[in-house]
Amino acid sequence: MTSQQISRGSLVQPVRRPRRSQLDGARDYVSAQDWRRPGVNTTMKALHLILLVLLVIVGIGPMLLLAKFAITPTQDIIRTPLAVFPHGIAWGNITEAWNHVQINRYFLNTIWIAAGSWFVQLLVATTGGYLLSVLRPAWGKIVNGLVIATLFVPSVVLLVPLYLTILKPPLLGTSLINNFFAVWLPSGASAFNVVLVKRFFDGLPREVFEAAQMDGAGPFRLFWSIVLPMSKPILGVVSVFASIASWKDFLWPMLVLKDPSKQPLSVRLPAIASHTDLGVFLASLAISTLIPVAFFLVFQRLFLSGAGLGGAVKG
Amino acid sequence: MHRMIARLARSPRSSRITLALTLAGALAVSGTLVACSSDKPSVDANAPVTLDVVGLLPGSEAAAQQELAQEVSDFQTEFPNITVKTHDYEWKATTFAADLAGGTLPTVFEIPFTDAKTLIANQQIADMQSFLGQLSYAGDFNKNLLAYGQAAGGDVYAIPAKSIYAVGLHYNRDLFTQAGLDPNKPPTTWDEIRTDAKAIADKTGQAGFAQMANSNTGGWQLTVDTFARGGRVESADGQTATVNNEQTKAALQFLKDLRWTDNSMGANFSYDWGSINQAFAAGKIGMYTSGQDVYTSLVQTNNINPQMYGLTMIPLSGGDSGVLGGGTMAAVSSKATDNQKAAAIKWIDFHYLRRYTNQAAAVQNAQTQVASKQPVGTPELPIFSQQQYQQYQDWIKPYVNVPLDQMTTFTSNIFNAQLVNEPPVATQDVYAALDPVVQAVLTDRNANIDQLLNEANTKAQRAIDAAG
Amino acid sequence: MSTASTRVRTDDVITRGDPQPARPRPVRRRTLKTWVRRGGLSRIVFALPVLIIFGVFSWWPIVRSITMSFQKTNLVAPARWVGWSNFEYVLTDPDLPTAIRNTLYFALLALVIGFPIPLVAAVLINSVRRRKGLYSALAYLPVVVPPVVAVLLWKFFYDGSTDGVFNTFLGWLGLGPYEWLSNRVLVMPALVVEATWAAAGGTVIIYLAALISVPGELYDAAEVDGAGIWQKIWHVTMPQLRGVLFITLILQIIATVQVFLEPYLFTGGGPANATLTVLLMIYNYAFARSLGGDYGAATALSVMLAAFLAILSLVYFKLTSAWSKS
Repeated sequence: MTSQQISRGSLVQPVRRPRRSQLDGARDYVSAQDWRRPGVNTTMKALHLILLVLLVIVGIGPMLLLAKFAITPTQDIIRTPLAVFPHGIAWGNITEAWNHVQINRYFLNTIWIAAGSWFVQLLVATTGGYLLSVLRPAWGKIVNGLVIATLFVPSVVLLVPLYLTILKPPLLGTSLINNFFAVWLPSGASAFNVVLVKRFFDGLPREVFEAAQMDGAGPFRLFWSIVLPMSKPILGVVSVFASIASWKDFLWPMLVLKDPSKQPLSVRLPAIASHTDLGVFLASLAISTLIPVAFFLVFQRLFLSGAGLGGAVKG
Repeated sequence: MHRMIARLARSPRSSRITLALTLAGALAVSGTLVACSSDKPSVDANAPVTLDVVGLLPGSEAAAQQELAQEVSDFQTEFPNITVKTHDYEWKATTFAADLAGGTLPTVFEIPFTDAKTLIANQQIADMQSFLGQLSYAGDFNKNLLAYGQAAGGDVYAIPAKSIYAVGLHYNRDLFTQAGLDPNKPPTTWDEIRTDAKAIADKTGQAGFAQMANSNTGGWQLTVDTFARGGRVESADGQTATVNNEQTKAALQFLKDLRWTDNSMGANFSYDWGSINQAFAAGKIGMYTSGQDVYTSLVQTNNINPQMYGLTMIPLSGGDSGVLGGGTMAAVSSKATDNQKAAAIKWIDFHYLRRYTNQAAAVQNAQTQVASKQPVGTPELPIFSQQQYQQYQDWIKPYVNVPLDQMTTFTSNIFNAQLVNEPPVATQDVYAALDPVVQAVLTDRNANIDQLLNEANTKAQRAIDAAG
Repeated sequence: MSTASTRVRTDDVITRGDPQPARPRPVRRRTLKTWVRRGGLSRIVFALPVLIIFGVFSWWPIVRSITMSFQKTNLVAPARWVGWSNFEYVLTDPDLPTAIRNTLYFALLALVIGFPIPLVAAVLINSVRRRKGLYSALAYLPVVVPPVVAVLLWKFFYDGSTDGVFNTFLGWLGLGPYEWLSNRVLVMPALVVEATWAAAGGTVIIYLAALISVPGELYDAAEVDGAGIWQKIWHVTMPQLRGVLFITLILQIIATVQVFLEPYLFTGGGPANATLTVLLMIYNYAFARSLGGDYGAATALSVMLAAFLAILSLVYFKLTSAWSKS
């Protein structure tokens, strides 16, 4: 298995793909003539309407329900979950979740963990990609091979030994348990990111590098002032992947972040589920949902193109 | 404060021990205590020490947190050189190992009685013998309880601290009333439990009787039910699994009848210790079995309405039947420094024990708890002598704010019952083998009890063999 | 091949004026300076993050997991070599067949439920004329919900009493109540439905991206041949999606075989082991025993699972590279 095979087989060059095409396709299986035929027109429109209704139910429905429960008194949630506020609205759930469950604190932890993972992943992927694509030492092939080999090792096999490594990390002499580095550092070991960035760097025009070197740019300046600025698209993709992956992670942070004051929402919420008043708990879930959904609505295009690109590069 | 972890346990190599709480004497063992004291620690009593200790269950009520903060501040006033940091903590069979291996437990942590011997053998908890000796009441412990935390040589490592419990039947008085039952006459036989459960389910639509089934609590409670009918799940020496016995079968048949013939067990069959408390406090459960002191947690984390709560004895039938008992010990990390150990024993004294032996401390503690609306007087079993416990109850009498008169059928009978300790070897693994059996009976109408128990017995034996 | 030529040129650029590619070989002291000037030092600097991070958090743990599967350790006493006994212990575990069966069942259900839905949705959205963005956003919305929150929310929806959320809905239709998570037949589909809800939006967007890149001329050509809409979908769209469909299929299988979150949070493997998966078993061996994990058994099982998955990945890469050649 070589990098060429992977790249040819599975990695489309993201730079060539114009972003706007993600949503507004040029041409599909229903032609302009087809649309003019009344039968087709009605059928398609009906299908689209049905789809829209289903998407609303499936996409927004659960969240609307959650929003409703967040301000419903616990006893009503238990006895008549779908009745519309038979005993009034319990705004107290929200304040209780915010002040007592301290959702804000765990949300900050979540952000902090994601930010650190993002930084480590970007650092490893860009320096590694630069080394393997641009600097190309002779021993780079071995490194490249070893990095790619890890693509074939599913993360599950790392679970226990990685955990033990965090307990007794080399050189440090102190356990990294309850330390954000225990999540940040292992996240950097993503072969997928390195390969992705390397492939992108491979596609950058060498003439530019040449010119820069004529001007006397050393390897660091070349990296910082030429390569990175030219690589914004792929950095964006890696960033989206990194933050989504970190946002979703549960098992690993649960194992290494035992101290509640360090835990992200994903670890904290299950821990308090059976000790927290149901209404307050659902309010906590609602707040935890609201924030990413708001992010999504604001940065919709970035999310969707990132997800589309994700498919494109994976595919 | 009296958080209950209490519920589960594993393997002291000693054979099953009757807690013999009726032996009010609790003959002083101070002689042995002093005799086997080990090397002298070097302690600087005034050096600044930071002590990490177990706090409340995650997600406890604000009042409980305030009360704990008050207690910490009182402690620090008394010992200005010690800084106490509390950590949320819930002992769970399924996460304790990771905490232990990860070194993330506080310096002072809580373990179930039956875990102590293994932790001592693995050198994971500290020898507290010489520190314990400094306490005036060191010789007064109920020696049967103390034995759980002693190494082979007699040194005390883990100290009986709280939540010394027998399993009781908790019931919802409101649901009893709504079902036309007398809440002052709770059931005394399994058949009565069955008819009452059916009445509650039929009249109120809530679960008449509920059973824990997840995170090893299914096995724990099935063991409770087996003991109550006179059976045992391990041979006396702990080397042979005996879960496919007649009493366990009868216990499962009882659940099967309630579930499938009467349909009186509601719709949730995946409760564990925390979630069944939550459902009970929310009024969804008529009766369930759990440690007798669970009321404290129901107040602290589930905000229960005291009026609805009732506690009674679990029905005992057949020869050799008994109530499963256990408790919580305080242990100190083997990594603690001597100064930390010295501070730890002061905290253990202050936080867990001295209220039972010192009137001023008992009163002060009760006042603090009452001031922050925390439960005072939840019935426990005595850590010291029964006499001493009686005296303690007299001291706190003016402050008791738990509905003791709704627990009298339990408190007036428990001392006449035989208390039976949990199975000695590979306890948690045996429970884990039984969890699926309980779940199968509750979720599969056609569950074959004999076959399930034979399979579970194989698994339990495998675990016992692996435990060596 | 274009990459190869690029590669040569790059080397020329970087090591300009030096006939030999620079190598990090500071053999003698006086060449150290030359080595640094040739960029040897900067190579090392740029290599450090990859080498350290992969070395400590990937390569070393991989090696270690293989050695650990032949050892017994409790982290206190030194590890002992025990030959194949960890593997024997795992392979004779009465729960293993159940776990494998459940894992495959989850993967299969995830395919049956989770594969066609995003495909149909994406193909339909592809022909939407106006507000395509709205459709995509709606489809994607559940993906934004943190997975743990999604599971905890659905766990509440799945409440088995008549007052459960889903049961109330079904009650209006005269159905149920169903004990979703306590019924051994329903529990696995219930988990898969939630997992599909949480993940399908991402797949929809991937398919949409692929659909948009279907060349319009192919449709034109089909229309010249008199193809109707259905025929165009069947003979133009679907063949064009073949590659991406296959890839998402394999990736989905690889992901579902490692399922953990849903069974762990919904049921803990119950009822009666009906949702015990292989990964849950690994977790239980290593982390769920109150007095110390069986790290040997856990690594032995994960090594076996990894071998199986590695074969799947190999098949995937072989096939995809064969595909792109054709």
